[in-house]
Amino acid sequence: MDGSTPLGTAGAGPAMRSGPRPRRRRRADLFPWMLLAPAALMMLLVNVLPIVQGFRMSLLKLNQYTLDQFLDAPFVGLRNYRNVLFDADSPVHAGMLLALRNTALYAVVVTAAAVATGLAVALLLNRDFPGKAAARTLLMLPWVVPTYVVGTLWGFMWQRDEGIVNHVLVDVLHLMHDKPFWLIGGNTFFAIVIPTVWRAWPVLMLIFLAALQAVPEELYEAARLDGAGAWQRFRHITLPALKPVIVIQVMFQIIDNVYSYNIVAMMFGKGAGYPGEWGDLLMPLLTRQSFSYWRFGEGAAVSFVMMAAMLVFVGVWMRAFRRSMTREE
Amino acid sequence: MSLPARSSRPRRQALAHLGRAALAAAALAGSAPAAAPASRDEPVELTLWVMPVTTNAQHDIPALLAPWLRQHPQVRVKLTVLDWESGWNKITAAAASRRGPDLLELGTTWMPAIAAMGGLERLSDAQLAEVGNGAPFFAELWKTTQIFGRPGVYGVPWYADVRAAYYRTDVFAQAGIDPKQAFASWDSFHAALRKLVGQRLFGQPVAPLAYAGKNDWNVVHNLAPWIWNAGGDLLTPDARRSALDTPQALHAIDYYASLAVEGLVPANALEKDSDILEGEFVAGRYAVIFSGSWLVRRIFAAPRGAPVQANFDVAPYPAGAHGHATFFGGSNLAIFRGSRHKAEAWALIKYLASEPAQVQLAQLSSMMPVRPDAAADPALTSRHPAYAKLGAIVADGRAYPPIPAWGPLETVYTKHLGQLAELSSGVTEPYTVAKMRAQVARAVVEANKVLEEAD
Repeated sequence: MDGSTPLGTAGAGPAMRSGPRPRRRRRADLFPWMLLAPAALMMLLVNVLPIVQGFRMSLLKLNQYTLDQFLDAPFVGLRNYRNVLFDADSPVHAGMLLALRNTALYAVVVTAAAVATGLAVALLLNRDFPGKAAARTLLMLPWVVPTYVVGTLWGFMWQRDEGIVNHVLVDVLHLMHDKPFWLIGGNTFFAIVIPTVWRAWPVLMLIFLAALQAVPEELYEAARLDGAGAWQRFRHITLPALKPVIVIQVMFQIIDNVYSYNIVAMMFGKGAGYPGEWGDLLMPLLTRQSFSYWRFGEGAAVSFVMMAAMLVFVGVWMRAFRRSMTREE
Repeated sequence: MSLPARSSRPRRQALAHLGRAALAAAALAGSAPAAAPASRDEPVELTLWVMPVTTNAQHDIPALLAPWLRQHPQVRVKLTVLDWESGWNKITAAAASRRGPDLLELGTTWMPAIAAMGGLERLSDAQLAEVGNGAPFFAELWKTTQIFGRPGVYGVPWYADVRAAYYRTDVFAQAGIDPKQAFASWDSFHAALRKLVGQRLFGQPVAPLAYAGKNDWNVVHNLAPWIWNAGGDLLTPDARRSALDTPQALHAIDYYASLAVEGLVPANALEKDSDILEGEFVAGRYAVIFSGSWLVRRIFAAPRGAPVQANFDVAPYPAGAHGHATFFGGSNLAIFRGSRHKAEAWALIKYLASEPAQVQLAQLSSMMPVRPDAAADPALTSRHPAYAKLGAIVADGRAYPPIPAWGPLETVYTKHLGQLAELSSGVTEPYTVAKMRAQVARAVVEANKVLEEAD
């Protein structure tokens, strides 16, 4: 085949609009669709169909007694949504407000800490020094540890008497008199936040570092000539330049952290235990109280409520920062 | 607004078929073949799903099957070793999609649920007669092959999980405690634990007792014997309501929690899981721990000459006002409803439940046999005196009522009783009986909701 009509010129001239289109041209029009078709088909199979099926499940009384009927299970309309959102006696609803509180706090704190740490380290690494490449590689190590391993490892590290955290805090640094409990009581919140931040910030650092290297050095030179200090250069050059990346990364982090599961599940009984009032998040709760309780209809309803909430969040976020994301600001 | 439970609309049916296809895909590859039943001489491939009953089940189970396979040369067994975390999802997916193995291992508490879903083959009268209508097995375990309140038997017990007290004989001797007296009653047990406070071994402190808190899967198994021995129960006799709030059960929960409140169970034990605590018992950190028969193997897996190996013994649970029952669980074997090789599957089940195979499995796995004759076999009891004692303790084993809703119910209990363990640690707030009762009341409400749905 010779080179077919370039897509960019299709229909460019008036003469080409009249009369039947040549066969080769029609083939050329189909070509992009053919390229898209496999991906579209996969999207349909992997995303759209499960979502449709999940929504259908959320309208059914689908539990261990009706599971063999699956999508033919009794239709209950929006009752599952009412149960999980408003029925205080529903087993799936129990503890949901605590998990919601924890998840909101967790998502905000982890995102803020991970973004701040990633940005700070990226700024440190964005200068030349011996061993820079090695430092960058080593700092990425936490990110390559799978989340379920992170949960298991930190579960050991947080142990009151044998864990390394208390050993460092109390025996080495003498920051505290008594060794605190991390896996029991209110500290469980920090016990899940800190490992999540520990694993999340390196990849943010790498993304911010890449973005920093795209900022023209001339801007900093001009600012220095104008007498701008380090803070002013950061405030007026670096931050605006990174804003599109930060906005996107904050959004992704919030989504990731709302759906966080592995670290909590592995740290507290490897999925079999209960993380406690300050350790339970929405996803572990959803897993425990829909799969372990076999209440798949209500579990699907919770999933759709979460998905709707996240869609609203993403919509609001995109609307609020649309200009920032496209550097139009 | 509601629609009929079933619709004839083709679109919905198509959606249902699609869903079943998804469930079938979720079931393991290598599920029951679709071929017609084989004649006696035709080669047969049996698919078998088991849990990791030994540390190397992929190697040990074929060794266990070898004698039977020699007698059935036309049969080949395709083994899949599941794990306890994902096994439940795979088995339920298989039961819902009707595509699964020919025979499978099920936890005793799983069996009624899968049977109620229609996933298991009900044993015929002829088959029941072949296994003596359950007479060769421990009666409590035989009950777990049925659905509470309904006729029918759906499998055969395979191995038993039985719990007992493990204690350090050297520490007891050092503290001047007579073990027999210590486990004679709750009062004497409490007194013995108090005497154990401050004991040291090789210069290291030894805590009197350890049990796991909320970060563990054994929360209910650990507490159940205390409730039973106080005359309480986890469910009412008709198994339709929670019985956690009866005076007997509350008394047991309070006694159990008070051991931690008093510091006889160190608070740092409550943040660990059973696996860690067992390791620490082997290392000499605790004088008493309650665990299963696998702990004997773990003790002898420690470096040769470890002090614990010559200084431990096994005892029944301390006797309460109503006896000294222990938790009795384990696994059963069943034929999958969709199996095309039910005759061969049944023949294999009978072999695995036979006395020689039971003894061999106990030797490979350290789990207890499900038959009294196998539990008393000298090949087992001569290995260590602890096995003989465990064999006797089995007689006091008590299983949970085999209700289909046990899985969700246990999750509810685990959550709330785990919270009680946290309360008894005193880390967040002081333990009081009123707070304990309030937590139990929440558990009962949630449990009853789960049980109501089962009605």
